[in-house]
Order: sequence, then C-alpha cells, then structure tokens
Amino acid sequence: MLAKSVIEDVLTAALATGGDFSELFLEDRYTNHLDLQGGKIENSLSGRDFGIGIRVFKGLQSVYTYTTDGTKEGLLKAARNAAHAISGEMTIQPEPLKKEIITCAHPITMNPRETEKIRKVNVMKKAYEIAKNYHSSIQQAMVRYLDEEQNVLIANSEGKWIEDQRVRSRLVIQSIASNGKQIQPGYYGPGAHKGFEFLENLNIEHYANEASRIAVTMLGADPCPSGKFPVIIDNEFGGVIFHEACGHGLEATAVAKNNSVFANRIGEKVASDVVTYIDDGTIANEWGSITIDDEGEKARKNVLIENGILKGYLIDKLNGRRMGMESTGSGRRQSYRFAPTSRMTNTYIAEGKSTREEIISNTEHGIYAKYMGGGSVNPATGDYNFAVMEAYLVKDGKIGKPLKGATLVGNGPETIKLVDMVGNNLAHGAGMCGSLSGSIPVNVGQPMIRVSEMTVGGSKEANVE
Amino acid sequence: MNIQQFQEKLFEIGEQHGFTDMEFYFERKEKFKCGLFKGEIDTYETSEIAGGSFRGLYDGKMGYAFTENLDESSLLYLVENAKENAQFIEAEIQEDIFEGSKTYQEGNYYSTELAKVTVPEKIELLKEIEKHIYAYDDRVTGTNYFILESAESTRSLMNTKGLSLDERQNYIGMFISVVVKQGDETKTGAYAKATKDFSAFVPKEIAKYAVEEALAKLNAQTAESKHYPVLLRNDAAGDLFETFSEIFSAENAQMGRSLLSGKEGEMIAASSLQLIDNPFLEEGLLSRSFDSEGVATMKKTIVQDGKLVTLLHNRKTAGKAGVESTGNAYKGSYKGSLTVSPTNLYVEPSNQSFEELVAMMDEGIVITDLAGLHSGADTVSGDFSLAANGFLVKDGKIQKTVKQMTIAGNFFELLKNIKATGSDLEFSMSNVGSPSLLIKELAVTVE
Repeated sequence: MLAKSVIEDVLTAALATGGDFSELFLEDRYTNHLDLQGGKIENSLSGRDFGIGIRVFKGLQSVYTYTTDGTKEGLLKAARNAAHAISGEMTIQPEPLKKEIITCAHPITMNPRETEKIRKVNVMKKAYEIAKNYHSSIQQAMVRYLDEEQNVLIANSEGKWIEDQRVRSRLVIQSIASNGKQIQPGYYGPGAHKGFEFLENLNIEHYANEASRIAVTMLGADPCPSGKFPVIIDNEFGGVIFHEACGHGLEATAVAKNNSVFANRIGEKVASDVVTYIDDGTIANEWGSITIDDEGEKARKNVLIENGILKGYLIDKLNGRRMGMESTGSGRRQSYRFAPTSRMTNTYIAEGKSTREEIISNTEHGIYAKYMGGGSVNPATGDYNFAVMEAYLVKDGKIGKPLKGATLVGNGPETIKLVDMVGNNLAHGAGMCGSLSGSIPVNVGQPMIRVSEMTVGGSKEANVE
Repeated sequence: MNIQQFQEKLFEIGEQHGFTDMEFYFERKEKFKCGLFKGEIDTYETSEIAGGSFRGLYDGKMGYAFTENLDESSLLYLVENAKENAQFIEAEIQEDIFEGSKTYQEGNYYSTELAKVTVPEKIELLKEIEKHIYAYDDRVTGTNYFILESAESTRSLMNTKGLSLDERQNYIGMFISVVVKQGDETKTGAYAKATKDFSAFVPKEIAKYAVEEALAKLNAQTAESKHYPVLLRNDAAGDLFETFSEIFSAENAQMGRSLLSGKEGEMIAASSLQLIDNPFLEEGLLSRSFDSEGVATMKKTIVQDGKLVTLLHNRKTAGKAGVESTGNAYKGSYKGSLTVSPTNLYVEPSNQSFEELVAMMDEGIVITDLAGLHSGADTVSGDFSLAANGFLVKDGKIQKTVKQMTIAGNFFELLKNIKATGSDLEFSMSNVGSPSLLIKELAVTVE
C-alpha cells in the first residue's frame, strides 16, 4: 500500500523533535450503503475513504495528525506537523521495518465489492416483504444494507509493519406499526465480520418477523410502571447493559486516569459470584471481531471479571504506558481520523447454570426486558441509562402483559453486584459503540440474567397497578 | 491535479458514460484539537482532509459516489459506481441538479480574527482554565475530558447547469467535564461552547461554571417519584429539541416517520411557542448562504404562536408536496446522501429570567442535564424516557439536589404543555438552541 522507504522516511520525520515512538496508520476503505423505503430503493451510495494518521509519543505526551493527502510530500508534511508539537532534539531512530504477514482470522468467502448489487437488493426486498406483510398494522418498513472493505497498513518505529483487511456486512430492518393514533417502531440489525455470504445464509424470516413483531406488540402495550423492581434481561443484545455499566469503566481510557470506579481494584470483588465478564476479539467472524487491533496487536480473549473478582482491563499502547501495563490488543478506532484508544470487541457475560424457565418462575413481581435499545454511561460516576425496546410485566413467575416506554437507570458497579441469576443461553448481538476514538462495530452478549433490583423509569407511577 | 481540473475531467468522463446532469460537491477542512490533563497536553491533533462527491442523472435517475482519494484512479471509480447506483434507484420522484437561486444572502461565517489565534495562545488558554479549575475547590479530582477544538472548512458546489458556489466557515469550541468527589459521591460538571470570538472564553468564569455544575450535584437526596411541573434549563431544553428536530423534516413526514405530517396550519404547541430556523446567525454552527443542493437559504418561522407554519424541505420533498424548497437540503459531508436538516434552529426567548421561572413553581423539578438522548427518545412516536440530573423546587426555591432521575413523557404533548419560556437562549455546542422552558407536567422517577 506504501513503499517501505516512504514509511521509514515518515516514521523518521515524526521523531525529529525528540519523540520516542512514531506510528503510521493508512486506511483505504470501500463502502456500499443501500436504503429501501416503502418497497423501493431510495438511496444507493458507494464511497472510498482514504487517509493516513500519524502518531508520535514522547513519554505520556501523544500527538496525532491525519490527512487525506497520500503523496510522499503530503505524508512528510503531516509527520512534520505532528513532530512540531514536541520540542526537542531527535533522540532515537526508528528500528528497521520487518514485514509481518498475517492470515485473517475471520476469512471471507464472498467479497462484497465483487458481489453484484442486484443480489444485495434482492435480499433487502425479501426482508421488506416479510416485515411489511407480518401484520396489517405495519404501516412502513425500512431496510438498510451496509458493507465495507477496510484495508489498513500499520507501521511503527519499533519495526512493526503489518497489513490487514476487515470486511463487514450488516442488514438493518425497521418496522413501524400504527393504529391511526400512535406509531411504534421495532428494530433488528444483525451484522458480522463476513462478506456477502453473511446475507446469503442469514435467517431473514426470523429477523424481519421479529422487527415487525416488536413494533406490533409495543403498539398495544401499556405504559411501563416506574419504581424499583427485579429485572430479567434476556440474552443476546441484552448484554448492552454491561457494555454500558461495566465495559466502558474497564477501558484503560477511564482506568488510566483514575476516572473509573474500577481503577486500582484488580483482585477485588466487584461483582456478584455468578458474574464472569469477557472481551474476546477472536471469536470467528463475529461483528466485533478483529485479527489485529488498530495498533497492530493480535486480538485476544481478555477475562475482565471472573466469578465476581476483577481480573483485568482493556488496554491500548498509550494508556499502557500510563498504567505500566501491556497492551491487550484493544487499541481500536473508527478510521484514520481518530487516534486509537482502548475499546471493546465482543464483550459478554459468560454462561451460568440457570435455565430460562428457572429465572422467570423464580421472579414473583418484576420486569422482563426482552429486547434492549441503546444507552449511555458516564464512566466517572458509573451512572448509566438505557431504553428497553420490548418489555413485559412478570407476575407470579409468569410473563404477563407487554409494557412500553421503559428505561433502566442505575449505577454500573452497583448493578453488577445485584446480578443474582445467570442463564445458560449465551448469545451475541451486533451494535455500534461510540467513544473517544469514534464509532466502532462491537458485539454485546450475555445469557438471560436477573438483577435483583433496578430502577425502572416509565411514564406510569408504580403504585398504579 | 487541482480541484477544478478534477471536476472538469469528472464531468467529461461522466458525459462519456451517459450522465446528463452532474454535480461535484467538494469539502476541505483543517482542524486543530488539544486537550490537557493535570498540566500535561494529553491530546494534540491536527488534520487536513479533503473529499468530494459526484451526483449525476443517468437514465433519469440520480447516482451517487464519493472519494477521499482525489487522484486519477478515482475519476472512473466515481463515475462507474454512481452509474451502477443510479440503476437501482426506484424512487418515484427523483432529485435533480439545480440551476441556482436568483440571489444569495451574503453572510460572514469566517472570522479572520479567529484564524489569527495561534496554537500557543490556545494552549495557554487551556492551562489558564485548568489552573482555575483545580484552584476553585479541593473536591475537584480531575477532568473526564478537557478539550479545545478549532476548525475551518470550505465547501464548494459545481454543476453542469452552470452553478458554482463556495463558502468558508470557522469556529472554536471548548468541551470540559470536571470530576468532583466527596466521600462516596462522584459527580461531573460540564461546559461546552462554540464561538467565533476567542475572547469569549474567560478562564475564571469557565472554570467556575464547570466546577459549580459538578458541586451542585453533590449531597444528592431522594425525592418522591411522581408527576411534577418540570423546568428544563436552557441546555437541557436545547438537547431535547435537538433530539426531536427531525420531526420538522418533510422527508420524515413523507416517509410516515413524523406525526407532524399534514399538520401545517394546525396548533401543535402552546400559543407562546415560536420556533425559528435561521441560517444567517453569525455565531451559528450551521450558518450558510446556500444549502447542499445550491438553493439559497432563508430565515423562517416553523412554529408561530403554536401553529405549524411549514416543515423543512429540500427540492425533492418540496416537489412531492407541491411547495418551494425551504433551503434545508443537507449533507453531513461529501460522504452522505442528500437529506433535510434545520440550519440554526431555536425557540425564540421571552423576557422571564431563569430565577423567575423557578419562582413560578410551588413544587417542581429543575432539570439541568439529560443523558441517553440517542436511545431513550423515540422521534417517531415522540415518547421519551431519559436519565436526568437536577433539583427539587419547593415554594419557588431550589431546595435540594435530587439523585439520578428519569423523566418521561411525549415530545408532542410537551410542546403543548409549555407554560413559560425563559429569556436565556443558549446554543452551547449545537446548531439547536433553546431558552429554559417550564413544562406543566412530566413523570419523574428518582433512583
């Protein structure tokens, strides 16, 4: 993608003012994006993102510069711009580059760039028909298709020189149900680190029907009561709760600056015994999987919490320096426009022993969150909030009537101590996670779990039953 | 190859491939970003990016493609991909390439004074603010983020109907989140502002504001969960309007995604509400003289005395509705396809101060910030349930800080339940702004 001599010159120029580490990240990304609304393709967009990010460290000082100018002159100018922010004399020369050849841990069989667009359109139309015809109250269905082929080159002054290709595909189905007075959306967005084979083998009936079923169910739902309840959160995308409540607090971005409630607590009990929390970028072809991270480190399986004991953090190179700890293959970024930092990949609560039936039948009065929406967290305080897309009342150990407008709020480190049952049905769901280094694909996952008490915010008061 | 040469070659190749009308939209942006953590520069970023998108009619249908690599190889990439994309478009009404408006209101959205501010001056400002932050109170333990960002950009639009427009813009922004600790309690306080006036950043005042915001959240106590009158402080009200601004898009209305569809001329809000879209604000983040299709922008009243006057249109939605474009065609960047967005959208302030609004409540809640806006608010149904911080008011006075709450309601109902509007219009770091708004009632749940 770039000549060795150019890379070496750029890494050297970046160290000219006394930096002790320099890094070049080149990205050439091809994307396709199609939108289908009302049965018709409304948008079809293709594009090529191209740019280079150059990073220089001096101790804990970090400088980042990026450009879309890929000529040698453009790159040298960017390197000099980065070096300019550091004042001093050159102290070290880059190590000679050694090219590392890697095999992609997540092989692709049908590159989307070489797949005819008509095949993508056909999948979208099929999803649309199923979603639209699910029920007479489905007023509108929308299908979005996304694919990308991201080619990266990562080189640094420690002699690293590595290239990687990441291919991802995603289908997002949104259904809108209406009864004339109210409208209610339902949503499903499966994705994978795969090419078009993902869409070919996808159970489209399931996802399209589910999107519509959620919309129709929620249309007739009562407002959710407010108050404190035991909450059962179902598997798969339900894992977003611990992504928000704990995952972000375990990123070195928060830990290194002592801004996380989990900082300096390795070896301590931070969760209930039934909780084991893992981030694993190596799971074959999952949406959040990577072969190498955006600093060129191999992906790995990081156990963060084991049986309630804090075991580790997600660490990138710069924060690793700050913490005196090694990188965990967690340096990720949205694109060349972002300096990498510690981020999640596929993060999940490991399987427990309870069955789904046991969890529900042991809950006398509570809320069952079947599908979660998104949420956010303040990493300094651990306060989180998120929306429940599909909720039900649980009464006398049975799932009762549907409830809409439920939000779960609380404090992550508190909530994770209150998990009292963990199911045996682990599954993963695809999402996009936004943080300092941009929006990146991640999986969240868990088996069904129960939290003994959570604050549920709804539009109806608790005592009105 | 310079941009003009690139565009000329592009149209030439496009014509050879059968495109009739064509447009090239180009953006160049330079950005500087710097952050401090305890005296050290911990974020330092500079960038220069450029990219362009090609849009053209092929067989009567609009094809799109973009690139950030403006070399010879991209010319063919753009044309071939746009052509393939055009072939799949099935929309009944097509976008078109616009020959231009008669006149454009010239504005000055580029401050030459701001452009002269040097990097050392910006870093000095940050250091000064940080000194004040730590000196202000010994419960300050750090900052979650502490960032200054400045940018300047040029956008250009050229098409085969002879239109050639360009415009330059710059701004400087500051985002701070201060962390304070007291016993077991950790709280944060934020400050965010974008401006063209560097001297608007007064270190001592900024530090005071952010730290006071955090300190005010300490000693949080519980309160009864029930329906309260709610005073949304200006920044919280602005965040809520920003989240729901898409309900005013004719594109959403035409797709069945806005309950305001067909409501022009009807009362949709309290009669005190005036909602304005103004592309000519000197300090506005989305100020512009032409929109993303090249249509001249205009100031307009969206809601007048509670009545919906117009939705926001681009040429395609206006064509469908049989009206004129309101100059609200929008592309997030050259990467995006054409959509509809407000420019600078705001609720017109009245003359009551924040304190006067507080005094109007016998018992109520003041909301100072909202979280979870991207997930807890459904712009289609208008339902929202959001995490919030704020105070309990008794007898017209702020009585205590309340633990984390959720407030729940429906935005369309909220519009009708605005009881009073403040004088304190604020945009913080957004193109959408609002003064403080007193709402008759919302469901409040306290953690």
